[in-house]
Amino acid sequence: MTSPAPLGDTALVEARASLHAVTWLVWAVAAAVTVQLAPNPAYVAVIVGIAALVVEVHGRDSAIARAFPAFVALGASFAIIRVVLTALTTHGVGSAVFTLPEAALPRLLGGFTVGGSVELPVVLQSAAEGFAIVGLVAVFGAFNAVVSHYELVQSSPRSFYEMGLAVTVALAFTPSTIAAVTATGLADRARTGGVAVRRGRVLRRALPVLESGMERAVALSESMDSRGFARLEPSRFEHVAAWCSLGALLAFGGAFVALVGRAGRAGTAFGVAGVVLLAIAITAASRATSRTRYRARRPRRLDWFVMGVSCAAPLTVAILAAVGDESLRWSATPLRWPTVNAGVVVATALLALPAALRPARAVTARPVVVARRPLQEPAR
Amino acid sequence: MSVLSYRGVGVAYPDAPPVLAEMDLEVSDGEILLLVGSSGAGKSTVLRCANGLVPHASGGRFSGDVVVGGRSTRQSRPRDLADVVGFVHQDPESQFVVDHVEADVAFVLENLGTDPAVMRRRVEEALDALGIAHLRDRSPATLSGGEQQRVAIAGALAAAPAVLVLDEPTSELDPQGAEDVLSAIARLNADLGTTILIAEHRLERAGVMADRAAILRRRNGGPARLDAVGPPATTLVDYDGAPTVTHLGALLGWDPLPLTVRAARAHVTNEPPLSRSEATDPPVAGERLCSATALEVARGGHTVVRVDRFELAEGEVVALLGRNGSGKSTLLQALAGLLPAERGRVRRETRISYVPQDPGTMLFRPTVRAELRETLRLLGREDDATDPAIDHWLGTLGLGDLAGRHPRTLSSGERQRAAIAAVGVGGATVLLLDEPTRGMDAESRTALEHAIRGHAGAGGAVVLATHDVELAARVATRAVVLGDGDVVAAGPAREVLAGSLFAPQTLRVLPPFLTVDEVATALARRRR
Repeated sequence: MTSPAPLGDTALVEARASLHAVTWLVWAVAAAVTVQLAPNPAYVAVIVGIAALVVEVHGRDSAIARAFPAFVALGASFAIIRVVLTALTTHGVGSAVFTLPEAALPRLLGGFTVGGSVELPVVLQSAAEGFAIVGLVAVFGAFNAVVSHYELVQSSPRSFYEMGLAVTVALAFTPSTIAAVTATGLADRARTGGVAVRRGRVLRRALPVLESGMERAVALSESMDSRGFARLEPSRFEHVAAWCSLGALLAFGGAFVALVGRAGRAGTAFGVAGVVLLAIAITAASRATSRTRYRARRPRRLDWFVMGVSCAAPLTVAILAAVGDESLRWSATPLRWPTVNAGVVVATALLALPAALRPARAVTARPVVVARRPLQEPAR
Repeated sequence: MSVLSYRGVGVAYPDAPPVLAEMDLEVSDGEILLLVGSSGAGKSTVLRCANGLVPHASGGRFSGDVVVGGRSTRQSRPRDLADVVGFVHQDPESQFVVDHVEADVAFVLENLGTDPAVMRRRVEEALDALGIAHLRDRSPATLSGGEQQRVAIAGALAAAPAVLVLDEPTSELDPQGAEDVLSAIARLNADLGTTILIAEHRLERAGVMADRAAILRRRNGGPARLDAVGPPATTLVDYDGAPTVTHLGALLGWDPLPLTVRAARAHVTNEPPLSRSEATDPPVAGERLCSATALEVARGGHTVVRVDRFELAEGEVVALLGRNGSGKSTLLQALAGLLPAERGRVRRETRISYVPQDPGTMLFRPTVRAELRETLRLLGREDDATDPAIDHWLGTLGLGDLAGRHPRTLSSGERQRAAIAAVGVGGATVLLLDEPTRGMDAESRTALEHAIRGHAGAGGAVVLATHDVELAARVATRAVVLGDGDVVAAGPAREVLAGSLFAPQTLRVLPPFLTVDEVATALARRRR
């Protein structure tokens, strides 16, 4: 059995605690904005590299953290599909690399030509745009890999708690659901002793997963109930919040209807009313709950520093864009190598600051301290 | 002083006969009360009454009163009782709310609105009490079953409840994980004085640590009653699910009846009751059904199993032993052709079917009988609604009375049997069973053993991957021990099991006898 952790251990964790969830949110938004402002493939490559580095250093021990390569692959496949579609439908920009048989679509489907000449500038241009999408997806994947979703939920306005909790529960359920899908496929093949039956296979494999999922959902709700979830009676504030939310919903609906009917003034009035009611609902709901937060952290000085430096990246790039930096965007006509401005690279590299920080124990992918006890073999 | 008291409690679920009637039980402060009974006897119902999950979450009719920490569950819902009753479920995986151990342990305290400073201390203490401080930053999904269950207990303990209620916390675990969980529970009681109400079937361990044991029995479909409440040593001895040594003691007329191997050996040192030559050996095997040579199987890019030679013949029952992750399931799946062999090959002379570890991955029809028919339908024997094989398999596995039930409403042992029947009905000569006794009670186990012997006796063969050496001792003719993917030991079951540190209980008390039945046969022969 493990000996109790010495008291000093706790202090150590506190001193080197991971970056705050809000810090990571700011970092991710800053990185995404930078990609938008400087979609030059050279700069995007820097950001993809930074995202991978940040995951490597700060990746958490969770399924979604291990899914970072899958995120990038997903982005890349999306980009490739986009390149193919664009190359097949855009013509007359530059010299053809090769020519495919072509077909004109009927007018109803847009009337454009599919196939024909595949042109180098078109391919490169859409590849560059696709790469910017890969950059955005990489940033999103990195954010999910390093952030504590539960801390993010706790840091959001309290009226969002239930909604956020549902998301974290879903995240916690994902790995086992994936495992269940694999296991069900195996069981289906095993049942007949090697005789493959294709008909009705989807249903045979989906039903056990769904039924097991239902069982687990019931068990989880009982577990939450047993652990006091939602035990406090709704207070006066919660009634206020509920009515205000309903009012806000109706007001936004009214605004939408008004805008469709081109009644601009009424639309604005409804919209403003909706915003006001929503604000009241959020404040009231936040007051209502008497839940407390475990180890609620405020962003520390280091967090503020990281947030500041992260925001400096898109700000610098925005200033350079305003001054008229030609290198930020790259165009395939006329065909030339992307130009690189050292200033933009330095600004982008600011986003790598978190990777330079020593990872806290709280976020290392393979906890070091486990070795106190002989490691259990993972189930194969 | 009583912390939890049941007074005249009766429960009937909607559209079902009463499960529990007029039950009285007092759980005193600081004790461990062990609740035993076969599956379906109503153990879960009794436990779920403790924090009001019955009737608040279950519905149905509820009579009598349960008072815990001075509050009645009639007025208080489970969530209102979260500070008095800590509740731990059977399935470790489905009770986590947050993908982070430490935050999950703190969940109950956040709901109770505990002061942050107090909360911080409580979480640290709960982590230490269960010995899981080193896991604090892990994701529960990446932990082993035993670790997950200890995290769940910490999550209940953090609120410092007056009583901790555990519903078969080790039934889904391997022996090592179960051992960790049970010793953690024993320590909580000994060091912190936590009152514990636990349903458990590993009696050789739980029976020793409990202060009192209560047996729940249902007779002829009537409501369950508490048959006996008292010290485990006297209460558990006439219970079906008692440890093997207890049955052995009863056979040899020992007094007092032992619950542990240690207690049983004390009787033997006085007078060895039987000579060593009186053990019989199992029948010889017949024709070869399946063989593998120089087999290597990989999973996720790593070679998981390396087996030089594996043969299976008619009439054989092979027990595949080894810790979690030693490659038992992988070998079975490779033999069944569900996983490709990286090197070497498997020769199958006949059809081989594999029964997966978790029956929930397979069963989806509305009744048990329909599950069996589904297999026949998949095999193209659609018209055989009255196939004699269906009734044969329902009969040998003792599922006759359960044929009309929905598989999801069965206990885990019954479900496991239903899965085995659903695969067996397909008519494969070789059956590969993966952990068939997980969560099984004595009755299910007996039915399973009967079916295994019957199948092997009728010219088939069975391979079981199991942690259960008692089962291996009772049914296996041969045993193979895997360690880290290699065959560590192989041979006749008696030889392999006898040389093991984890030998079955009878063998440790009366070598070379493997089972109580063997001892009984030898005794009968001597008397003749």
